[in-house]
Amino acid sequence: MNSPHQTVITVRNLKVGYGETIILHNINFQVRQGEVFVILGGSGCGKSTLLKNLIGLYTPLEGEVWIEGEELTKAGEEQRRSLLRKFGVTYQSGALFGSMSVLENVRLPLDELTALAEPLKEMAALALLKLVGLAAAAGKFPSELSGGMQKRAAIARAMALGPRIVFLDEPSAGLDPVTSADLDRLIKELAHRFSITFVIVTHELASIYEIADRVIMLDSHERTIIEEGRPADLRDRSAHPWVRRFFNREPDAVTSGLHP
Amino acid sequence: MELNPQDELDLDLQFGPAGHARVAFGGRLNAETIVNCWERLQRALHDTKLQKLDVDASALRSCDGAGLALLRYMSMGRMTPGVSVSVGGLEAGLEQLFRSFTDQDYEMFRPPRAKCHPLPEEVGAAVRQAFSDLQQQVQFLGSVTRNLLPTLLNRQRMRWPQVCRVFETTGANAVPIVSLVSLLVGMIIAFEAAQPLAQFGAQMFVVNMIGLVMVRELGPLLAAVLLAGRSGSAFAAEIGTMKVSEELDALQTLGLDPIRCLVIQRITATILLTPLLTFYASFLGIAGGGLVALGLGFPLTLIFQQLTSAVHLSDIALATAKGLVFGAIVSAVGCLRGLQTQRGASAVGVSTTRAVVTSIVLIVIADAIFSVLFFVLKR
Repeated sequence: MNSPHQTVITVRNLKVGYGETIILHNINFQVRQGEVFVILGGSGCGKSTLLKNLIGLYTPLEGEVWIEGEELTKAGEEQRRSLLRKFGVTYQSGALFGSMSVLENVRLPLDELTALAEPLKEMAALALLKLVGLAAAAGKFPSELSGGMQKRAAIARAMALGPRIVFLDEPSAGLDPVTSADLDRLIKELAHRFSITFVIVTHELASIYEIADRVIMLDSHERTIIEEGRPADLRDRSAHPWVRRFFNREPDAVTSGLHP
Repeated sequence: MELNPQDELDLDLQFGPAGHARVAFGGRLNAETIVNCWERLQRALHDTKLQKLDVDASALRSCDGAGLALLRYMSMGRMTPGVSVSVGGLEAGLEQLFRSFTDQDYEMFRPPRAKCHPLPEEVGAAVRQAFSDLQQQVQFLGSVTRNLLPTLLNRQRMRWPQVCRVFETTGANAVPIVSLVSLLVGMIIAFEAAQPLAQFGAQMFVVNMIGLVMVRELGPLLAAVLLAGRSGSAFAAEIGTMKVSEELDALQTLGLDPIRCLVIQRITATILLTPLLTFYASFLGIAGGGLVALGLGFPLTLIFQQLTSAVHLSDIALATAKGLVFGAIVSAVGCLRGLQTQRGASAVGVSTTRAVVTSIVLIVIADAIFSVLFFVLKR
């Protein structure tokens, strides 16, 4: 069993990009068991690209990604499959399957990847939906759900196989503050109750203060991590002017044509 | 909440006196480990007459959603009907989660099985859908007719570069596939007809037949069906995707009519190019038949003579009329299906399929009407 504070993700000298274009380089960090770890940065700095490299959707140009002691980037097909089952992922849009009901969406990983008995699959999917507060919407289709409900359903699906790590891409994007706060509370509860490690890509300041144990800050000019630490520390003590501006929501003079 | 193939579940089953049994879970209870203990539990508990079952989860180190589901399944008595079951010993956090999903929750939130609607209800819904579809088609036709002339006459509104783009993608890019299919169809018909006609000493009339069939029927049909498959579907997909991504809403809120901005250009371009494609398909089909006739030993001059004696100007006029009508059908149906796209991931696919199917059905119906009209006019 993993003890608390044990490292579950290690990223070493990662360089990511597309073809010749390097988006981020020299990325190094570690994530500990049960931690809510936030990847932070302005729009277009490569947060989502980094996430896709961490979960094996893209292959990094250089470097290593270790998940629970196994290297994802160099894993063979079988090892990779077993590694992928150790974590769940939710995407910015929720990415629920539109042709399936919410219950079927959550059941899908159980149907495809486990040999559980039929009644248990349905019960497990319903239990997860109850956990995220969506049991009453089990028979609905994703198009009938609000944005916040879709995100919660996606989290339930990501948790279907009982992962140790869950990656979330912009969970609060497009949600109202109340729904966003509900989602934050759910993430905190899940991290606390099940000791799940969350790796979250976001730029919602309110969420960061609420949920993050530790953050890394990416910068699109330097194309690497410019800060790492607790959100309050970064806000109050960062030596980097852009980080301070980010946390204090100060506009960037360069991007506005209204104030010459 | 964990899952690891190496993780293990400890299961201890004890049967006491007076129908009392105790199941103790230890280690990890998750989707992977439950599979191994499920059969054993089912067999052992099913074959024994029980009064009371205690489930002890005090030695559990971790439990996921599937584990909680198993505990709830047992506590509901589904594994041991009629037996009093108690689950205890869960760690405080898990206990809270276990209590949060009750037997009543399972019964209440379980979606009902999809029920079959009675036949009259299904027929009624289909008829209602057909009428609603017809109404939308008439509205669309009215809207296109109302917008056509004002848009055509206004150079800025018409946006001819867009018409040219449609002309290229729908017409010029379709030339290779139309060439191949028409040439092969012409050759196939000539081959199939040559032998039976030879039995009557009429093999030289293969060219007459190919000429008439390709100009009056197959040229327009082939061009229209290929156009429906290639471009009608593309119109539906393009406009459907725009609708799903709210681009049509954006147009409307800018005060622009999607019919005027997106549909008129596509319909105009397709109506203009379909007769050309029709002639091209007819020509290639005749060329295919001619090649077969050459292969059968007929001289080129005879082939040409037979062709000019069989195909008249009225046949070419009919082909032109068919091309214009078929082009209008394919483009209008493609655009209409695109505009009718519903929400959801599969909506664009549904619109595309509907565009192709409706186009082909309407083309065949229109072709039948043309045949009857031509027959009556020629009498």
